[in-house]
Amino acid sequence: MKSKTGGKFAIIVITAYLLLPLFLTLVYSLFTEWMDVLPEGFTLRYYAEIFGDRIFWASLARTVVISFIPVVITAAVLLLAMYAVALYMPALDKYLQIICTIPYAIQGIILPVSVLSLYAGAPWPFSNRIVMLVLTYCVVILPYMYQGIKNSLVSVDALRLVEAAEMLGADKFYAFFRIIVPCMLSGVVIASMLSIALIFGDFVIVNTIGGSYYSTAQMYLLKKMFISGQLTSAVIMVLFVVTLLISAAVFCFKSKAETSAGEVKK
Amino acid sequence: MKDSKKLYLAALVPFALIALLFELLPVAATVVRSFTAEGGGLTLGHYAAVFGKRLYRTALVNSLWVSILSSLIGLFVAFWGAKAYKSAGSKLRNLFLSVLNMTSNFSGIPLAFSYIILFGNVGVMVMFGKNHGIDALASFNIYSIWGLLLCYVYFQIPLATLLLIPAFDGLKKEWREAVALLGGGEAVYWFKVGLPNLLPSILGTFSVLFANAVAAYATAYALMQNNFALLPIKISEQFIGDVVQRREFGSALAVVLMLLMTATIWINDKILKMRTKKAK
Repeated sequence: MKSKTGGKFAIIVITAYLLLPLFLTLVYSLFTEWMDVLPEGFTLRYYAEIFGDRIFWASLARTVVISFIPVVITAAVLLLAMYAVALYMPALDKYLQIICTIPYAIQGIILPVSVLSLYAGAPWPFSNRIVMLVLTYCVVILPYMYQGIKNSLVSVDALRLVEAAEMLGADKFYAFFRIIVPCMLSGVVIASMLSIALIFGDFVIVNTIGGSYYSTAQMYLLKKMFISGQLTSAVIMVLFVVTLLISAAVFCFKSKAETSAGEVKK
Repeated sequence: MKDSKKLYLAALVPFALIALLFELLPVAATVVRSFTAEGGGLTLGHYAAVFGKRLYRTALVNSLWVSILSSLIGLFVAFWGAKAYKSAGSKLRNLFLSVLNMTSNFSGIPLAFSYIILFGNVGVMVMFGKNHGIDALASFNIYSIWGLLLCYVYFQIPLATLLLIPAFDGLKKEWREAVALLGGGEAVYWFKVGLPNLLPSILGTFSVLFANAVAAYATAYALMQNNFALLPIKISEQFIGDVVQRREFGSALAVVLMLLMTATIWINDKILKMRTKKAK
């Protein structure tokens, strides 16, 4: 009994600690002045200002575009590679896994500076900053996408499904992309959404490679930081809500996938 | 038969191209560049400078210090959080889990800024401390390594807790009962049974946390721009920005960071393997 109340206390303290900065940022964005315990001068004008700013919408749109394209490319490319490796060359899976884990060891600043210094003076299309940015993101999300696809490949028992399909007269390519991939869809979508959230919150890569060529919401945020605290808080809240919506979508999709999987098993 | 063989090989090409051109080649080029003198030719001079010049040694030490300490504090809090999660009711569990998931997205520039609101020069906590005579709050400087540590601890806690919670599932109720039957109390259970069983997960979590912190850039940059000696910041400085760019030297710094992260992953892997061998 004692440990139970202690546990409750621990959870409440950690929850409060984690929510405090978020809550204060929200309060800060809604008041004009805050010099003592209570803030003063409630206003929504900072939000109005952001939503009226065309540069904000443009940066947000750029962020959304750059978050989706690499995920779609990586999902397609990995599914193709998995098809070849899982069905024809299972011995290669070890190397596929290593290649997909390396980005984890070169996360943060290392990969973008490496890409930038290798291709900055290279011929088109490599020297194009947007091409560089998109393909660097493709590499960054590899570990998450690989794990997601691999897990679903195992959980749908792909090899036996393909065998069964072959016995019924389908070829491997058809079996993989028309039967296995639709079965794995929920796993792939969950991994994709996590990757989208990851890119959405990225600053280091876009700041290194994108620079002034491709200004996203995170860079808009940094610029506002030197202008107005309240405005910055409002931008943070808006971006945070967008990230939450992405995670909420993942969560809904996950529980939906789990219940439908449970029904099938029953 | 021949055609289908060609077909599946073709399916590997796009992946191989992306991995080669944007993962393996850039990293290999960085390693080679780190051994290249600025005018051409081989040299170890950049590495000598990394460890020999005080500024860069400080950056390395600061990075290690803030990463190790924030990982340890994060682990400590996460241990209590995950332990509490196990014993909590389902309603509290769901609340805790959604708060952890939600706040694990809160890092980088937004996190740094909200700590500036709290502890900056005219931050809420600092003003509160000044108005009410609480010196520790009034004089806290967020633009320092302690401020950085405060921010890093914040993003480590949700991540560490989310990683540790599944490990607690491995602890069986019967073990605790067995310890109690043999006359052991709570402390005996944790030190002799609980913690040794959690050890691989704790070490694994530590390695993720350390890599996460040592590579982090956005939080420190938002807090202090380039005015702080931290490895990722010093690396970025050599490639972009206003200072004179020294890509060869920057590459050596990047290789050092890369080695740090690889070593962390490698050690963790070795410990896990030793453990599974023992279990067998």
